[in-house]
Amino acid sequence: MRTIEFVLNGQTVSVKTSLSRRLLDVLREDFRFTGTKEGCGEGECGACVVFLNDQLVNSCLLPMNAVIGQNVLTIEGFSQTRRYKEIENAFVDAGAVQCGFCTPGMVMATEYLLKNYKHPTEDQIKEGLSGNICRCTGYQAILTAVKRLFEEVESL
Amino acid sequence: MIKNIRPESYAELLELLNEEDLYVFAGGTDLMIRKRQWQGAERRFDRPIVYISHLKELHGIASLETHYEIMACETQQSVATSTLLPAYIKEPISKMATPSIRNLATIGGNIVNDASVGDSIPLLFALDAQVVLRNCKGVRQLSIQAFILGKYKTALQPNELLEKIIIPKRGYEGFYYRKAGLRKASILSKLSVYVLYRGKGEKLEDIRVVVGAVNDRPIRSRQAEESFIKDHDVDQVVAAYKALMVGSDDKRSTKKYREEIASRIIDYSLREVM
Repeated sequence: MRTIEFVLNGQTVSVKTSLSRRLLDVLREDFRFTGTKEGCGEGECGACVVFLNDQLVNSCLLPMNAVIGQNVLTIEGFSQTRRYKEIENAFVDAGAVQCGFCTPGMVMATEYLLKNYKHPTEDQIKEGLSGNICRCTGYQAILTAVKRLFEEVESL
Repeated sequence: MIKNIRPESYAELLELLNEEDLYVFAGGTDLMIRKRQWQGAERRFDRPIVYISHLKELHGIASLETHYEIMACETQQSVATSTLLPAYIKEPISKMATPSIRNLATIGGNIVNDASVGDSIPLLFALDAQVVLRNCKGVRQLSIQAFILGKYKTALQPNELLEKIIIPKRGYEGFYYRKAGLRKASILSKLSVYVLYRGKGEKLEDIRVVVGAVNDRPIRSRQAEESFIKDHDVDQVVAAYKALMVGSDDKRSTKKYREEIASRIIDYSLREVM
């Protein structure tokens, strides 16, 4: 056990835990940030993705060692931004949410796409969302939401 | 309680490796899954773990006069997006896993892990890459072919660490890469084919053909490559590679499927080169 300091959603925090504990468990159990979900627990489904220093990562695969002194952004932190609101509106308008379990991860993956592309092709959007599994929507509505978002991207 | 060690320096890491048998933890995208337990429980490691990805000595990509150097803890994403590396290195790496896993998984991890489905290894076979291994007493350099011994079996000694990968620059002009799996992303390859060439058609100067994920190690025949450079006989190369495919049926695919599809991809890609 050791005290690990890192920046969580813009605030410096410290937590007493082991280096091998998963960031996902620390977020959900110690900080009660339950927007980050555990689906498969092995990096396949993307329900647990967060930003680590602006890079999208699976928090179920991330030991706390990798978080020491770093910046972590969860869906709770991201939801305070204007860009989140635009993504939320696009998802709602396109009916891209059903049960909602995958949605925080889909939103974070969409933000990662927005960070990396100005005018992505459809294939690039699909690749960007390829690490996020949705069992309800059949993906089409999510794809529509993200495509529309990029059409409006100049205003974001 | 299993020890978790975060060395303060590279020298300390090498000393630790010399003292005891440790799990070397880089990106962790494989180790965290292999050692998983039920939801919420800590990973079940049976040996102490040493974390290495925070050590700056293991990061960096360089384009030098005669070769490229990639340090072992560079992530797959940083390799796939590097402005210093050519497309024939970046593209196969960019097709591995998913964006969020590529941001964690390291190039060194994929090599040392040495799964027969590791998608970076066929590429390194084609490029005649070398690996630099270090322990507290010194350094040694091996060809990737000498390093990869079999499925999950490398020449790495317990007190050694893969430090970097060296890829010679040989002026390749084109490549063809295709992998087959159940879906494009986040899937273990059923098979992959990587073809690299310099010159085209009658002016073909060099060609490399590697088949991955079929046998325990990638398949490459320099003899078949050289005969193709001389006589441009596609059928002969396909037959030579097919004869080398000895892998068996497993949960990812069957021997028959792999042989058939790999042969067709080799055939198609060689005709493209001609």
